Amino acid sequence: MSKLTKAVVVVGGGIAGWLTAGRLAAKHQSHKKNSVKVTLIESANIPTVGVGEGTWPTMRNTLKALGISETDFIKECDASFKQGAKFAKWCNGKPDDFYYHPLVLPQGFGKTDMAAHWLAKQALFDQENRSSFSDEVCYQEAICEKGLAPKTIRTPEFSDVANYAYHLDSAKFAIFLQKHCLDKLGITHIVDDVVSVNSVENDNDSEKGDIHSVSTQNNGDITGDLFVDCTGFSSLLLGKHYGIPFKSCSDVLFIDTALAVQVPYDNDETDIASHTISTGQEAGWIWDIGLQHRRGVGYVYSSKHSTEEEARAVLADYVGDKFSSLKVRKIPIVSGHREKLWHKNCVAIGLSAGFLEPLEASALVMVELAAQMVSEQLPQSRDVMDVVAKRFNETALYRWQKIIDFLKLHYILSERTEPFWVDNRESATIPQSLQELMQLWQYRAPADHDFTSNNEVFPAASYQYVLYGMGFKSDYGHTPYVLDDIDIAENQFKQNKKLIDTALSSLPSNRELINKIKEFGFSRL
Amino acid sequence: MANLMVVDNKNHLNLKVDSSKAEQHGAKLNLIPAVMSEFINIAVQYPLVITKHAESGQFVFAAMLGFEMGENLFWRDEQWQGLYLPLQIRRQPFFVSNADKNSEKGDYVICFDSESPTISQENGQALFDENGNDSDYFQQAKSCLAQLLRGEADNKHLLAHLEKMDLLQVMKMEITFANQQTTTLNGLYTIDQEKLAQLSAENIATLHRDGLLQAIYTLITSLGQMHQLIDLKNKKLGC
Repeated sequence: MSKLTKAVVVVGGGIAGWLTAGRLAAKHQSHKKNSVKVTLIESANIPTVGVGEGTWPTMRNTLKALGISETDFIKECDASFKQGAKFAKWCNGKPDDFYYHPLVLPQGFGKTDMAAHWLAKQALFDQENRSSFSDEVCYQEAICEKGLAPKTIRTPEFSDVANYAYHLDSAKFAIFLQKHCLDKLGITHIVDDVVSVNSVENDNDSEKGDIHSVSTQNNGDITGDLFVDCTGFSSLLLGKHYGIPFKSCSDVLFIDTALAVQVPYDNDETDIASHTISTGQEAGWIWDIGLQHRRGVGYVYSSKHSTEEEARAVLADYVGDKFSSLKVRKIPIVSGHREKLWHKNCVAIGLSAGFLEPLEASALVMVELAAQMVSEQLPQSRDVMDVVAKRFNETALYRWQKIIDFLKLHYILSERTEPFWVDNRESATIPQSLQELMQLWQYRAPADHDFTSNNEVFPAASYQYVLYGMGFKSDYGHTPYVLDDIDIAENQFKQNKKLIDTALSSLPSNRELINKIKEFGFSRL
Repeated sequence: MANLMVVDNKNHLNLKVDSSKAEQHGAKLNLIPAVMSEFINIAVQYPLVITKHAESGQFVFAAMLGFEMGENLFWRDEQWQGLYLPLQIRRQPFFVSNADKNSEKGDYVICFDSESPTISQENGQALFDENGNDSDYFQQAKSCLAQLLRGEADNKHLLAHLEKMDLLQVMKMEITFANQQTTTLNGLYTIDQEKLAQLSAENIATLHRDGLLQAIYTLITSLGQMHQLIDLKNKKLGC
């Protein structure tokens, strides 16, 4: 009889550690006797990195699965609503250059080829009278431009009027998750340093090379059937113990340094942007994330294309007068991931698995997807673990590759002329998989069938928003009949205008809603 | 739009109120907030529903009088045709306000809506006698306001238990009127009868002890009045 999975040991207590331990414990009812025991070991001495202040809409389901109240989460984590991203100065760097990647699907998506109709419509207008793809097919851009929230105080918790994710204070979120997991989910918590990793001693074939236990400074050996490596960049188990190599993608994504500051608001009533603002700069881009009490702002750049001094000047210019009084944190970014994420009885989740530049907020969502998959597919016994591991690796590596492709897409269509942008368009730096898709999209819009996995991270709609936002034109000259159903398309464009009017007249501002949540809270119904 | 002024016996010594016109305040309301102590009176004729306050998103109880904004099916021929006039209307033109907005001590002042159709200098009842003492009428008006104030506390108590015991559910209703016009009721909630039936003895005892059980059953029973409301709508549509 193969060994049953009765004990999971999570090493590391950042957001990745607590999210994974929480999902495992919630799914497998760890608070009950004879269920899977979840232990989390974290060092008191290692600070968490605290990357990622932007989430995906997936976070709503993650919080729900953990049994967290949205009101508590928003109150405790300084969180606000995020309805996608505004990309400013990515196309040509001029003051009016911007487009949106909203979270709501394009109006009429799946009913007709809205991109084709939009392209045809734009061709009829002068430059000045053209309107952006994201504004013509999605009401969310208008909501964001007005600083409105994605719902009202009457909308039940986790439900929406317009699809949304969150901006959050990652340090507060880690503490909040820990408290919830310990109070509600029956996780064993050990605060101690892991000093060594011990392999299984008997030479039983299937378990050979497995981790038997980790030795701690003061709590002895902690044994387990599955070990989750959430040790951050140090990748203690997967990287150090197993020596699984790190696969860098710095040849594709050039960003390698971040300078981050926390910018306080002028006062309690200052508007909170309800989207991430990402502004193109000489050698990278600046993120701008509005929380309740402050903004998180940072310049991510390529050190090959900018000195730190130059980068500081760019950031200072963006932030304005307040900059001189702020503490600047420098964070190195090594874009890439481990060649394998699950090896033997050890799986890495979080920074130990990999990290990419923060564009499109992929860090937390990769943690959520991995934690969900491990909890839902937790191998019942050792003899099926290798099968689960193989499938987990296939899915995770596919996701990493897709995210790398999608991030690169943001850079390759720019007309900016600084060396950073010119180098980004060098075809040798563009993954083959993305080049092939770009070939297809010369003649048509990104479509669902371009993406074959049921574990797709970015849907075709996201590619459309970025592609046409960056000014790309698919040439439908060979297939003019695609435009035959113009009546349907016109209806959808009109419908979108109507939705904009309704949204603008019924939604409160982001700040107003957050104040109401703090006063009244959302109801569950 | 209401224009609230604090009542005092110097400036308003000659003010008169024609209480028969209070019902005009409900002419265009399809939902009127209700307090627990009047549930039974309301249930005799109108469905009682739970909805969310526009400003706070908090649950409130309401008598339902129509199917769309501005529709009161009990308002016909310039008159309220129902048997019972909810307190929220009967109290017009008077309101209670905190004496000091920053304190929660419970010192209240009485205000009146100077734009109310009930306000008059000629017809109606005076608030004060010539010496500035409260008239019998004003005393009655005050007790009506007191009932509303107590009712707000009762409502809160009831809602807290309904939420804690998970007894609320979304009220889904699609109605086809006699002329085939259909409407879907949105944003309304009611008691989840299945969950009520499965409530533990301990919880039932709590509800009984706090005097909430009757209110809960009245909420359920009142939904039978939905048929009468549909009838009224059909008549209005001329079917």
